[in-house]
Amino acid sequence: MKHLALGLALAAGLASPAAAEPVTVNLARFFGACEDAGTDTHTSVGEACIIQSIINAASQEIPDVTVKTLPTDWGNYYDHVKAMFAAGDPPDIFVIHRSSIPEFASLGALADIGPDLEAAGIDMSDWTEGAKKAVTYDGKIVAVPMDFHANLWHVNMDIMKKAGLVKDGKPILPHSPEELLAQAKKVKEVTGKDYLAADFSQFPIGVRLVLSLIWQQGSNIFDGDTATIDTPEALNAVKAITQLFDGGYANPKLNYADSQQEFLNGNAAVLVNGTWVVNEYTKQAENPDTGLKDYYVSDFPQLFDQPATWADNHTWAIPSTLKDRNPEKYKAALQVAAFIYNHDADWARTGHMAVRKSVLESKAYRDLPHRAEYVGTEKIARDTPASPEYSKIQDTLNRNLQSIWLTGKDPKKALAEAQNEVQDILDQ
Amino acid sequence: MARQTLGKRKRTLSQQQAAWALLAPFLATYCAFLVYPFFKGVWISLYDWNLLAVAMNPAAAKWVGLHNYVHMLWGRNITWGPVSHPIIQLLALAVLAGAFGLHRAGRLSGRSAIPIAIAALLIFLLLGFTPGEGGRWFDRRFWPTVGNTVLFVALAAPGTTIAALLLAAALNRETRMMAVFRTLFFLSQVLSVTVVTLIWQIMFSPTQGLIDNVIQVFGGSPVSWLTDPHFAMLAIVVTTIWWSLGIAMILFLAGMQDINREIYEAAALDNARGWKSFWFITLPNLKRTITLVVVLQIILHFQVFGQSHLMTQGGPDDRTQVLVRYIYQSAFRDSEIGRASAMAVFLFAIMSVFAVIQFLIGREKSE
Repeated sequence: MKHLALGLALAAGLASPAAAEPVTVNLARFFGACEDAGTDTHTSVGEACIIQSIINAASQEIPDVTVKTLPTDWGNYYDHVKAMFAAGDPPDIFVIHRSSIPEFASLGALADIGPDLEAAGIDMSDWTEGAKKAVTYDGKIVAVPMDFHANLWHVNMDIMKKAGLVKDGKPILPHSPEELLAQAKKVKEVTGKDYLAADFSQFPIGVRLVLSLIWQQGSNIFDGDTATIDTPEALNAVKAITQLFDGGYANPKLNYADSQQEFLNGNAAVLVNGTWVVNEYTKQAENPDTGLKDYYVSDFPQLFDQPATWADNHTWAIPSTLKDRNPEKYKAALQVAAFIYNHDADWARTGHMAVRKSVLESKAYRDLPHRAEYVGTEKIARDTPASPEYSKIQDTLNRNLQSIWLTGKDPKKALAEAQNEVQDILDQ
Repeated sequence: MARQTLGKRKRTLSQQQAAWALLAPFLATYCAFLVYPFFKGVWISLYDWNLLAVAMNPAAAKWVGLHNYVHMLWGRNITWGPVSHPIIQLLALAVLAGAFGLHRAGRLSGRSAIPIAIAALLIFLLLGFTPGEGGRWFDRRFWPTVGNTVLFVALAAPGTTIAALLLAAALNRETRMMAVFRTLFFLSQVLSVTVVTLIWQIMFSPTQGLIDNVIQVFGGSPVSWLTDPHFAMLAIVVTTIWWSLGIAMILFLAGMQDINREIYEAAALDNARGWKSFWFITLPNLKRTITLVVVLQIILHFQVFGQSHLMTQGGPDDRTQVLVRYIYQSAFRDSEIGRASAMAVFLFAIMSVFAVIQFLIGREKSE
């Protein structure tokens, strides 16, 4: 019997030499854990479960390919991936932000997948301009785009209504730092609630808020090899925020979890957070036990001369070493990337924006809850210039901004120090 | 007969050979996993070694000699002054004078006075360095991080020792209830750092936390323990004390049970009970155990990482950034393995200094 099976297997192998051996593809991702995600990509809820259901479906549906998700948590994700690279055992496919692509691509760590996209069934002409730019490094395509995400203005409409800040069913957005302060004052006086909540003390949401306000004035934090943080524009941006703390309209000591809790408990009119929570908050608002009843989500407001909001992309990359050493596995990894890419519409349910024109134009996409409320975000998305030192620069800015709003350091002094530190990083 | 002895001799190992044979597995493991990585680390600290770049191309490591150390310890236009950090420097001088005075008065032996004096002098001298006009440290985060780590150890090591000592004294009774309590207090020790920090993050939460809820019951306003620059370090110290109480407590209990009952009985006849017997009998007899616990705690807490990394992410504003977390960040987030190794060597050096000081004092006390 054993011989027969072996013979059959051999015969099958000889008959179709192209028939692939079963391949296990190791996949690394963040987005959190979801134990029982299943394979139904249409009904899963929240970032962790939607992505895991897509991965599980890929493992089930792609012939001869099994996808194994490596355990990596969000906080240490890049450290973990880098350590895997250093140990000579990188994941076969891994999610990577546009902002982190330069660090990996500048060292040749990411495979040039451009020439193989068509064979994998990925039509690049369907990509938005932003998506194409996000995955291009040095003229080469080094990743498959999955989404576009940005900072949004999540609004509790009940609080805004009470404060008289709703018109035609939409929240009235501030158009200057002065209007922002006036709105905050009004909300506090009428409702006793905080105006704004965001994580200003740990995760760099506060940094992204300040960056957006710097960009709105046509400035940036560095330009090529020169740091430009100690500027009047940066000071304006910081002051627009600190005036809310000084007036008692926002609490700088909330971390990510606490700031979300404040908003969901109905204690803050506005939460600054990303696109990734829209789906989650929509579900929460339907729950009668949640303090947030009437949820609205808007584009980031324009307080200065031009609109801008912080944005980034999630993309999927494959190590260059895999392409060089194991073409079979490389092909399988690319199939997985294509599978995830083909489920862009499912992933977009999280609240992230799709990167495929065909998905963006589809009715199903436009009919997603709250989607129409922040369609302008794509046009106003901005980011810092590409830099291999991005994470270090962001952390430097985060620490120095924290020193302003948590320890009461003079903003000018803190910005001057941040400028020096970032210049040191750029000089290295 | 002679042949038999010969045959026997062939089969038996000499005592020395047997010792080597028994030691060999340990030595091999020790060298492979401790000695070799240590020297490799020292070696890497002499290179500009980018983690990712070297992974892609082994030739990317560049020899830089002592540059990483200079970058870590020094800066541009660094000057020295006796009042750069007036309070701590004056305090160090006072300790120095005190050690000298006590030694002259015969209250402190040379063996104790010398290490204390050296430590005080070092603190006085090292803290005197500051950037002069227009100058700055090459690595502005390094010295504040060292300061945070020392502060953490200075709070956590005595905190754990005192708490464990008091707890052990209270539980040093042979009743069933006490055995239950001992187990309960020891339980925290077996939890992993992830679980411990998770528990305490919930405890410290300003919205749902037990601590703030209790404060509010008494009319206080909630404190953001983990994101308030005044409380963040304290919060991770409290967590650490709770976590590391168990072992210290067990060591103290063992030490206490070694003390001869007759001494207590004799003291009781002289009416020395409760606090008096604890102060005059238990404490002096526990000197060696106390020294052991303090040394263990200092060495353990210098390597603090998880509490700071998971609870506060080194923040707010780097107030809880500690050396191991900085080493980790430099090595993995910033890919600067060479620089991280230099810091690791520095950490090794200061831990050795503390261990030697403690050892000298401990030897003194036990005599």
